[in-house]
Amino acid sequence: MSSFTAPVAPDALLETLQKAAASADADAVEIALLGRAGEYTRFAGGRIHQPQNITETQFTVRAIVNGHAARAACGALAFLDDAVARAAALARELAARASSPGHAVVAAADAVSPPLEMSVWSEDTVAFDGGARAALASSAMRQNAAAAGMFGRAVTQMAVVNSADVARHTLATEASGSLTATVDEGTSHWIDLHRSSSALNIEQAIERTVREATAGRGRGPLADGHYTVVLGPQAAGELIGFLPDFGFAGELAAAGVGLLAAPGAGAQVAAPMVTVADDALAVDGLPIGFDLEGTAKSRVALLDAGRVGAAVTDLTTARALGTASTGHAHVAREEPPRPVAANLRLEPGDQTEEDLIAGVERGVYVQRFWYTRLVDRVTGTITGVSRDGCFLIENGRLAAPVAGARFTHSVLDLLSTVDGLGSELRSQPVMNVWNGAATAPALRGHKFRFGAAR
Amino acid sequence: MSAHSWGSLASSATARDILDSALAAVSDRSEFADVRLIEAEEMRSYISLGGDPDERIEQNIGIGVRVLVDGQWGFAARPLASAADAAVAARDAHASAVALAGSGKPVSLPPREPSSGSYATSVGEDPFAVPTARRYELLADWLAAASAPAEVAAVQAGINAKRQHRHYADTEGSRQHQHFVETGAMVLVTARGHGDVQRRSYPNSFHGNTAAAGWEYLSSLSMTEQAARVGEEAVMLLTAPVAAPGRADVVIGPQQVSLQIHESSGHALELDRILGDEANYAGTSFIRPEDIGSLRYGSEAVTITSDPTVPGTRGSFAFDDEGTPARAFNLIDRGIVRNTLSNRDSAARSGQTLTGAARSDGWGYLPVCFATHVFLQPGEGSLDELLQRMGDGYYIDDNRSWSIDNQRLNFQFGTEVAYEVKGGRRGRLLKNFSYGGITPQFWGSVEAVAGPSEFRSYGYPCGKGEPKQWGFLSHGASPMLVRDLRIGVA
Repeated sequence: MSSFTAPVAPDALLETLQKAAASADADAVEIALLGRAGEYTRFAGGRIHQPQNITETQFTVRAIVNGHAARAACGALAFLDDAVARAAALARELAARASSPGHAVVAAADAVSPPLEMSVWSEDTVAFDGGARAALASSAMRQNAAAAGMFGRAVTQMAVVNSADVARHTLATEASGSLTATVDEGTSHWIDLHRSSSALNIEQAIERTVREATAGRGRGPLADGHYTVVLGPQAAGELIGFLPDFGFAGELAAAGVGLLAAPGAGAQVAAPMVTVADDALAVDGLPIGFDLEGTAKSRVALLDAGRVGAAVTDLTTARALGTASTGHAHVAREEPPRPVAANLRLEPGDQTEEDLIAGVERGVYVQRFWYTRLVDRVTGTITGVSRDGCFLIENGRLAAPVAGARFTHSVLDLLSTVDGLGSELRSQPVMNVWNGAATAPALRGHKFRFGAAR
Repeated sequence: MSAHSWGSLASSATARDILDSALAAVSDRSEFADVRLIEAEEMRSYISLGGDPDERIEQNIGIGVRVLVDGQWGFAARPLASAADAAVAARDAHASAVALAGSGKPVSLPPREPSSGSYATSVGEDPFAVPTARRYELLADWLAAASAPAEVAAVQAGINAKRQHRHYADTEGSRQHQHFVETGAMVLVTARGHGDVQRRSYPNSFHGNTAAAGWEYLSSLSMTEQAARVGEEAVMLLTAPVAAPGRADVVIGPQQVSLQIHESSGHALELDRILGDEANYAGTSFIRPEDIGSLRYGSEAVTITSDPTVPGTRGSFAFDDEGTPARAFNLIDRGIVRNTLSNRDSAARSGQTLTGAARSDGWGYLPVCFATHVFLQPGEGSLDELLQRMGDGYYIDDNRSWSIDNQRLNFQFGTEVAYEVKGGRRGRLLKNFSYGGITPQFWGSVEAVAGPSEFRSYGYPCGKGEPKQWGFLSHGASPMLVRDLRIGVA
């Protein structure tokens, strides 16, 4: 097996990138490396069907001429000089045809100080090798359940230099685990991400997931209606992942779309116990302290004690809003660049899941939502289905298992009813966001509408 | 210079040395091995209302090696900076398979005759040769057209192009070289006012539309005219009424049908999903292996075909990503499930027909079952004739919200636009249209499909696998008439 090492040798990397940047025939230049060397043990049907060992690197050069920017990317250091030349040539061409100067800039060096104090390397993840992962997969498949899942470890590497003397580099470990257990028609799912593999507590997760799947046998349909719900950490995390769509992404805020435009910052839209922040300084999820423009990430409270907070921005949207970048630049595949909340976190409370359930006379426990999609940006309405380990709650205890059911409901409406938050956090990836994670505890809310199309 | 002559891997001979070195590193120690060596370059030009142009071009070369040792798979992939990386990837793949010896039921692939050859997308004008100035003049035109109404709050316009040399070799003797070129465009409008926010898009609501073609595809889209239309429609939607919830007959336009095919047909018929391989991530399927050949999935009007040999789409190819030659298969034939989207592993394990649907996201990911060019066979007549046949109901198109359960059974979709139809004629524009249903009931309610003249194809990205990879594929359809659909479900 491959050794667990950085995708690109870190020795003298920053100097190499700085030298390449200095060679650009442009007013300003920035070079970002995004790399990941990952090993993944994926299993289903009683076998490890997809062991994978994947190393990916991308060097992206952003060159600026008279305020006009162009990017050129390559997959290996050997091609970086070509990428620098291409980016500069494209930027010169854009500048030459433009009728006025553009607005593109690179991050200033003082925008990345003081240095962030973060620990993103975990030796236990280094030890989470193929043998350890295969043993866990075998353990999961030996249980009295059909098991499918994946355990993985990766080295994530990020470096940014620019012509304004920004030079940053980090190597971070990443441990991931997910499992779906099926017993008859009963199912349960678990997923978590962390810099530390020990933090995933995989053995406990396997035992719990199989136990929940077993309890899910004989599940019946959930009647349409409004329910008090206890959402498990995964279901809660899925919901908070929608908050940027409600106006907390810089480009929406700049266009006057969403909660920052109306009702505006400071308005109470969720329960006072609800604080959701993009927080790369938290230990949960997959924190990295700077973005691909080299800006240090600020903690951005989207909802602060239930009140509308602020939007995440990059250099472009910050200029449009007249603010400083919060350090959330991102370029997704097949999409225009836009800032993203890459480390969302719903602040935990102090209750156990059992405490939250104990406070419900009649309701529903929802382990997981699936295929959730935005329906109405103005009302914050999304649709999706519940699935896996879902149960009725009767007199403060989990009762009969229930099948997945469609819902169409406003995330904001639910967050406005939250009266309890769990203490245990769980993280999950954010779709189409490099190194993105959403982290949440369980929560209790009210008047959540389930209603299936028939 | 020909559109096909770019790149360091344009020569099959150059690629062959690298492919052979990777295979040589593992061939005497494996039952089977295959190698994907891919050079790709993608260009994206965007402009937003009030913003500067954003230009990016991304290039990468890499290699992915898959081996089968004692019935256990291994896979490794890495960027290719030098020829030595090929052997490193091969050794890593082999080591990962060896480490799993005896860990599960071994896979045995049926022997396959080697297939060798080359394939290239038909390109009229090389999109990479189009001057930057010309691209940005067009983008500026689209932006101006779409943003003409005062209540337009945001517009994104984009042009994209991609070219890939995809080389494949395996220990059975196949050697293949495919050169794909694709071109696409998009405009997305957001209007704000009257307490509402609405969006309109063209030519596809999923980041635009992309076809396997050159610049001539973009030229065929009438983008400026269409940008003006969707800009105006986005504003009109702000004050449009909403259809009353209930049950109604609906003619669904081709873009929305293509999405319906993607979610409820394509995914439901992926054989790896049917067998449970994707239970932890992408989900499973309501279709069981024993259903194939007999399950009534839809009405007699519903025939859905996988045919990557149709040129010009994002699902067009001559060989899939594990070297299987492309062929057409009816997946649903007059309403009955006949075939699945399968790869060698899933077909071998289940005894189902191998339909050549192994697709991978470049060199870095394992080939898994993805749709190819999967489309609803057209029926007869025009859209107007279909509306006349319906009489009273709705015409809807252009997806804005999509959700379906993990078995691909219970779905709910929303569209950007809907029109009231009375007596076969389109009337009022309606907003926030939604409908829901259960997959076989929905397809069983399809009464008719319009003819070939109304047929359109749409390219899609799609996510699957762990770690998640993207599949790039295509769906096509003519408008279709569905009776007694539940609407207003959101």
